Amino acid sequence: MKTTLENFNMKNFARELGEASTRFIKSAELFASIDEIDVGTAPKDLVYEEDKLQLFHYKPEGKVTCGVPVLIVYALVNRQYMLDIQPDRSMVRNLLQHGMDVYIVDWGYPTKADMYLGLDDYITGYLDNCVDFVRKDSGKGQVNLMGICQGGTFCGMYAALYPKKVKNLVTLVAPFDFSTNDGLLFSWAKHLNIDALVDAYRVVPGDFMNSGFLRLMPFTLNIRKYVDMLEVIEDREKLLNFLRMEKWIFDSPGQAGECLRQFIKECYQQNKLVKGEMKIGGRVVDLKNITMPLLNIYASADHLVPPAATKPLNDLVGSTDKSLYEFKGGHIGVFVGGKSQKELAPAISKWLHDRDRSEPAVKAAKAAKATKATRATRATKAVGKKQPRARAGNSRTK
Amino acid sequence: MSGTENYLDSWMKAQQDAFTSMGDMARKFQQGFSGFGSTGGAMPGFGGAMPAFGGAMSGFGGFPDAYTAWEKSVNDAFRGGDAGDANFVRETLLRSLSSSNAYLKLYELWLPLFKAIQQKGVSTDSFKDLIDPAKYKEMLDRVFGFNPDAAAELADQVKKLLESWTHSSQGFMQPWMEASARGYRDLPQIMEGHPAAFMKIYHTMFSAFDSTVGRVFHIPAVGKDREKVELLLRSLDVLSAYLAKNTEFEHTMYITGLAACEKMIAAVAEKVSAGEEFKDFGEFFNLWITVNEKAYSSLFQTEDYAKMQGELLEASLDVRKHSFKLMELHLYDLPIALRSEMDDLYKTVYELKKKVKGLEKQLGEVRA
Repeated sequence: MKTTLENFNMKNFARELGEASTRFIKSAELFASIDEIDVGTAPKDLVYEEDKLQLFHYKPEGKVTCGVPVLIVYALVNRQYMLDIQPDRSMVRNLLQHGMDVYIVDWGYPTKADMYLGLDDYITGYLDNCVDFVRKDSGKGQVNLMGICQGGTFCGMYAALYPKKVKNLVTLVAPFDFSTNDGLLFSWAKHLNIDALVDAYRVVPGDFMNSGFLRLMPFTLNIRKYVDMLEVIEDREKLLNFLRMEKWIFDSPGQAGECLRQFIKECYQQNKLVKGEMKIGGRVVDLKNITMPLLNIYASADHLVPPAATKPLNDLVGSTDKSLYEFKGGHIGVFVGGKSQKELAPAISKWLHDRDRSEPAVKAAKAAKATKATRATRATKAVGKKQPRARAGNSRTK
Repeated sequence: MSGTENYLDSWMKAQQDAFTSMGDMARKFQQGFSGFGSTGGAMPGFGGAMPAFGGAMSGFGGFPDAYTAWEKSVNDAFRGGDAGDANFVRETLLRSLSSSNAYLKLYELWLPLFKAIQQKGVSTDSFKDLIDPAKYKEMLDRVFGFNPDAAAELADQVKKLLESWTHSSQGFMQPWMEASARGYRDLPQIMEGHPAAFMKIYHTMFSAFDSTVGRVFHIPAVGKDREKVELLLRSLDVLSAYLAKNTEFEHTMYITGLAACEKMIAAVAEKVSAGEEFKDFGEFFNLWITVNEKAYSSLFQTEDYAKMQGELLEASLDVRKHSFKLMELHLYDLPIALRSEMDDLYKTVYELKKKVKGLEKQLGEVRA
């Protein structure tokens, strides 16, 4: 047994704290020199705009080998650029490099003027308009719909309402069965007076949502994360990587009140989607109507959307071609983890390519070429200039 | 005539005071709720709030004092700043600064224990005496963004607001106000953790008002003043419910923290008994995080916690709702659009847009 004097190496303790403080002091200079955190840098065009929604089309990286385009739909809670957070951690770039033709929805930042937007507006309105635009823009009758988190739930609802427009459905860490209490959010949401929340805020602030997320692991997310950052703080690139994630975490749009009310009440509290009782725009959302091929991806260590909420989808749909894919990792790791880049994006690409056989590669390439040529003559607008090729209600929409 | 002018001047001043109080109160509300729904700035009050602990660390490096001074100047320098990413970078630095503070604070908190282990050997019970509960509570306040002074400040603001309005209501409520002021003076003691006492004070105040002075205001045709005062009193009532629930919530969090602290001491004692060494503070820090995270995770998973958190939120939203009603009532005569009026406008615009979009879609289908 060691002597008690050896149990705490106080010299090391003091030195370590001193070093940490010194490192932090030095880092302030580095912080001060950073005035831009670049995220979502894969080249893309703004092709459609409606209210605050924007639809982007990524520029292909090499030959497009999958004929049917992929439309990515992210959650309303955070920003879609998580899928292209940095060049070496980009699900989007990965899909492009695997020959996919990719579009992505940016829901925007709702203001109080959007407080009455409901699920109907998001799904049979905005999402349907985006799908229609992509179908027309690509010259294909269908899209591959890829939904992430709440965006996956939206895609499931959409596919059940408009099965003919969806060739394949891919869901990533998307909740469908809300009866579980495995995740804290699921348990907490059941005791949330959503009417009082929405009536008080109208558009529920992103900060409010974030406070809930941070409370899931308060010591890790409020303290340890930043203390760990001290280890990389002198390395500009690593610090920038950290800041990109921080930017994403705190870049939380508010939630349009009516939509959030309906989502919390009918999904989290009443589990209507699974029961076949959910109605959108007056129509019942019957998951059995999902008959197209389904790839349902869940993360085994997901603390936000537990597997118990995602896996049941495969038993609820009418599809005969359905795959359940386990990703060994957490919720965020699905989008940005190294394993995700190596394993998941290629797997999704392969799964879609396998089901694209009815669309011969030659035909696909021809279509892509034609699209590219059309785009060139249309003098594509650069991203950031806010000049879409089409706006809602504009007859220029093809 | 001059009497009338004096009366109007007084009335105007009372209105101005009420308005100022309302502004202050709104600010206090935000501070009061900062731990629940406002994380944009990370842990409120964390940065720059490091009580002098240099003395406690004497003999273990002289950096803390210098660090604290430096931290304050960086904090000050980074406040304000630019918009966009620069602003975000600043906020991240402040969050990091807060965590760095917590790290050092943790060291300070456990320092007596480290020293005792070196000097006396292992004894779990004696270790407990070495942890200062007040400091531990302070630590937890910072992790969860609690502001222990906020409730008292908030109540004080409400009192001032009430006084202003009372003044404009020609002193009808003066005796009642004095009684309530006495109640507020007892707040610090009540805040030690007796939710029932809270409820009692506020409900007694409300009942006293309702059954005595309040009767005067039940007479028709007193107008908006009566409406305002009654609404204000109802606001006080919902505030009391919120404060009571908040006390219950924080109490649960502190109790959990205390249990975690004991587990931490036991874990340290076990390690020391086994002759194992904490090589650096990072190792100790990791253990501390793990033990606490586990303790709170167990709490958060209970049905009781989920229910209590839901009730706390509901109570805070009720306060918010009443404060908005009060503001609207007060602003009603001014030539500005009120929130409820804007809501109507938004609804009309939403419905019209939806109709137009539907018609455009139908038209497109017909054309196709």
